[in-house]
Formats: sequence, C-alpha cells, structure tokens
Amino acid sequence: MNKMLSFWTDVMKLPTIGPMYAFSKDVSSYASDFVSLGKMMAELKTSMDSYWALVSTAYAKAMKETMERAPKQLLTKDDFENYRRAAIEAFEDAFTELFASPEFSAVYGKMFSSQLDVSRSIQGIAEKNSKTLNLPTRSEVDEILKDVAELKRSVRDLKRSMEIKDDGARTTT
Amino acid sequence: MTEQELRPDQKQEVQPPGEPPKELKQPSVADEVKEAYRKLDKARAVLHTAGDIEVGQTPHEVLAETRAYRLLHYQQMVSKTARTPILVVYALINRSYILDLQHDKSWVKSLLSQGFDIYLVDWKNPTAADKYVSFDDYVNCYIDDCVNAVLKKTKVDKLTLHGYCMGGTMSTMYTTLHQEKVRNLAVIAPVVDTEKDTTVIGNLAKHMDVDKMVNVIGNLPCEQLYACYSALKPFKQGVNKYFNLVQNIDNDQFVGNFLRIEKWLYDTPPIAGETFRQWIGDIYQKNLLVKNEMKLGNELIDLSKINVPLLNIIADEDHLVSPQCSAPLNDVVSSADKRLMRFHTGHVGLIASLYSQNNVLPKVGQWLKARSQ
Repeated sequence: MNKMLSFWTDVMKLPTIGPMYAFSKDVSSYASDFVSLGKMMAELKTSMDSYWALVSTAYAKAMKETMERAPKQLLTKDDFENYRRAAIEAFEDAFTELFASPEFSAVYGKMFSSQLDVSRSIQGIAEKNSKTLNLPTRSEVDEILKDVAELKRSVRDLKRSMEIKDDGARTTT
Repeated sequence: MTEQELRPDQKQEVQPPGEPPKELKQPSVADEVKEAYRKLDKARAVLHTAGDIEVGQTPHEVLAETRAYRLLHYQQMVSKTARTPILVVYALINRSYILDLQHDKSWVKSLLSQGFDIYLVDWKNPTAADKYVSFDDYVNCYIDDCVNAVLKKTKVDKLTLHGYCMGGTMSTMYTTLHQEKVRNLAVIAPVVDTEKDTTVIGNLAKHMDVDKMVNVIGNLPCEQLYACYSALKPFKQGVNKYFNLVQNIDNDQFVGNFLRIEKWLYDTPPIAGETFRQWIGDIYQKNLLVKNEMKLGNELIDLSKINVPLLNIIADEDHLVSPQCSAPLNDVVSSADKRLMRFHTGHVGLIASLYSQNNVLPKVGQWLKARSQ
C-alpha cells in the first residue's frame, strides 16, 4: 500500500507533466477566481434586484389601472371579456412605458453586463481546466477564428484585384 | 308554422300574458366551461403543429448556395415586362419566407405577377465559427457575389436592389460602394438614423455592452432576440394574440394565418457576433451610418454618394424601426429621383398582409416598373 501511495506522490511531483501538477500549481489562482466569481454573483444579484424592483412597480401600476378601468362586478360573460380587455390595456401601457424608459434601459444594460461578467469568470476557470488537460482553450480557438475571417477577406480582395487586372488586360488586347 | 308542425325539441315556450318576454336560453356556466376547455385543448394541439405549416411556396430554384446564403430565383408567373431584375436582400433577423408567407399575402408573388424577375438572398444560420463575420463580409462579399450572379444570369449591367429592414440598411451600404451595379435602390423600413428611433429596441440597445457580449457569448443567441421581441408589445401581441387564437380556433383561415406568423416569429437564427457588434455599437449607439462615418473594412460608407433612384417605403405604426429612423435616408442621399412612401400599417403588415397586397404593392410595382426598362 505504501508503495502504491508513494508512486502517486512521485507522479504529483513530476515537474512539467500531468494534470495534477498543473492543478496543484494553480491552486491559489483557482481560489482567487472563485472569490471574484462570488463577487460578480453578488453584483448580479444587486442588478437583478433593481430590475425586479422596476418590473414590480410596473406590475403594481398595471394592477391598479386594471381595477380602475375594469367592471366592478363580474356577473356576465361580457363583464369577464371587458375585464380581460381592461387588463391587457393597462398592462400594455404600464410595461411599454417601462421598457421605453431610459431608467429601464440603464438597469437592463447593467444586469446584462453583470450576467456576462459571471459567464466570463466561469469561462476563465474552464479555460484553466482546458490548459491543464492540454486542450486548446476558447481564447485560442477564438484567435484562430479571427485569423480565418481575416484570411478569407484577404483572399476575397486578392481575387477581386486579379479579376480587375484580367478585365483590364482583356480590354487592352 | 303552427305549434303542431314543430318537432318536440323545437316547441316554443308560450309567453304568459303580461310578463316581459324571456331572453333566448343562455348556455349554462358548465357548458361554457366545457366549450372553453375544448377550445383551449384544440389551441394547444394546434400550436404544437406550428412548425409544420408550409410557407415560402412560390416556385423557385436555388441559383447559388454557400455556407452563408442561398440565392433563390423565382419562377416567372407572367411574361417578363420589366427588363431590370430585382434582387431582394432580406434581413439577418428571422427568415426570408415572411416575404412569401402565403399565396394571398406574398410580397414576392405580387411582384412576380407584375412582371418582375425576382431573386432573393436567403441567409443561412451563422455557426460559432462565423463569430468574426462582419457587415464587410455580408455587403462586400455575399451580397456582391449574389449581385454578380444575377447580372451574369440576366445579362444586364445593373439591377434593382430591394432590401427589407436590416436588409434595407445593407442594400444601402452596398449601393454606396458598388453603385455601378445598381439601377434602383428600393428599401423597406431601413435602419438609418437611430438617434431618431423611438422603439423599445432602440432604447434597449443604448446601454448594451455589446463588446463584452460578443467577447463572452460570440454570436447573438436567439433567446436574446426573443427577450427583445417580448418587450415590444408584451401584452397586446404577446398575450392577447393567444386569447384571439382560442376564440377563433374553429376558423381554419384565422388559424392558418396565425400559425404562419407564429412560425416566423420563433424561427430566429443567431446573428454573427462581429456583425451584431457593428449593428448595435456603430449603428444604434454611435449612429455612424447617417453621419457618414461608418466603415466596412477600410471603406467609408458615405450615403451622400448614392445618386440612383431611391424608393423608401415606411410604416407609420412600425414598432421595430421607427418611421423617423428610416425617413432621413431621403435627406442624405444625392439622388435627384427619390420617393418616400408612407403607409398606415406596421413593420410586418407592410410586407405580409392583405393591406400590403392592396395598398402597398401596386404603388411599389408602379414605381419600380417606371424605372426598370
């Protein structure tokens, strides 16, 4: 048993290969990644609170308007139909006003940005894992995609300039 | 008819003299609940089949196909009376079959019936590998390739470029850079001056951190677009339309029309990341297009260079692209022959409705025909 355990200890100590070495080397940076992820989650929570506060206010306003516009008693089918119409109108007015307001735009933008921060942080941790396993990371693949897109444009431009030259040559002859 | 002639179930109650006449027998609450449940159940079943409904049925052939697009050529319905072919450039949002939704509301079919030769750029879904595909690629590569293919097939030197919504904006960009291939520019609800846009989309775009979004997510996912759409007319269209569906569930024509639009609304491809970055950052946030400061690759888009005949078709009740956002195109181009047509309808009603067939298309066809010989 001792022999078996010491074998694994030796593997862990190997300087440049093996996922365990890479993991143990990055322990402190993993810890700080998780701390910053926690902070971002807290920021997202704050942004979401602001978002839901606006939505709740609009909802309350719509409900109040519905009560004012809708029939007071629901006795007939028409009463229900009029209630539905009043509710749709009131909710449409309240929420359209909300979605078109500069305040909502700012709060929604901040919440979306916080969401992206959380995703980016998780992606950062995943990238470390990819590196540990000797896999290409998302950023590396991204760089290649960017290069491919630029190469395609260069080929397109070259083709076009060759076509123009060919046309010019044909016209001269 | 005497009382004796009535079958027992048809016998009428005799009104006692002196009493007010009784109203016709109302269905009981239980009957109404049962009927409502039947309609709801039918609506649920019908909605599950929305994806199967057929759209885009006007006969066509695929003239060219790449990873990015299919170039469709529609079969002529009448003998060609207009010499200049029309290349329709659809938007990158949802699918092009909205222009050929059903036989009686088809933009394409109407133009064919007026004697035009119609081609359409049908964009394909960008994949994760297309993250860096930009407007430069769409305009200077894909649209240009399609224009060249149409010119080659029809053996003419110029065509009419006809763009809808974002496709209108791309057609406008193309015309500034390749005007020698464009006889007429006809755009429907193009996004041009976003400072004047009053829509919810314009409002949401103002504070979007689009650079971060593209870096983190890549292409714009369809869920994000659904979120935007649901904020447009959240209750009148988002909720009320389903009430209307349930109420009209036994009307086959209503259900068919509903399902076709529903299918289109939820048939949303992603948008290539770099293109979306330019769309929101350059066009909506910085308003570079109308300021003549937008660049595609190294080339500046200068709208004042446009001098071909211009037709700008806009809708007064457009809640996706404000008419105030589209109309300024006519002010910034140099064309001597330019026309702004305004119609009292919405963004989709402008192209896929009976209103459009009766009021919009005859005028559009007339304008195009006069400039297509």
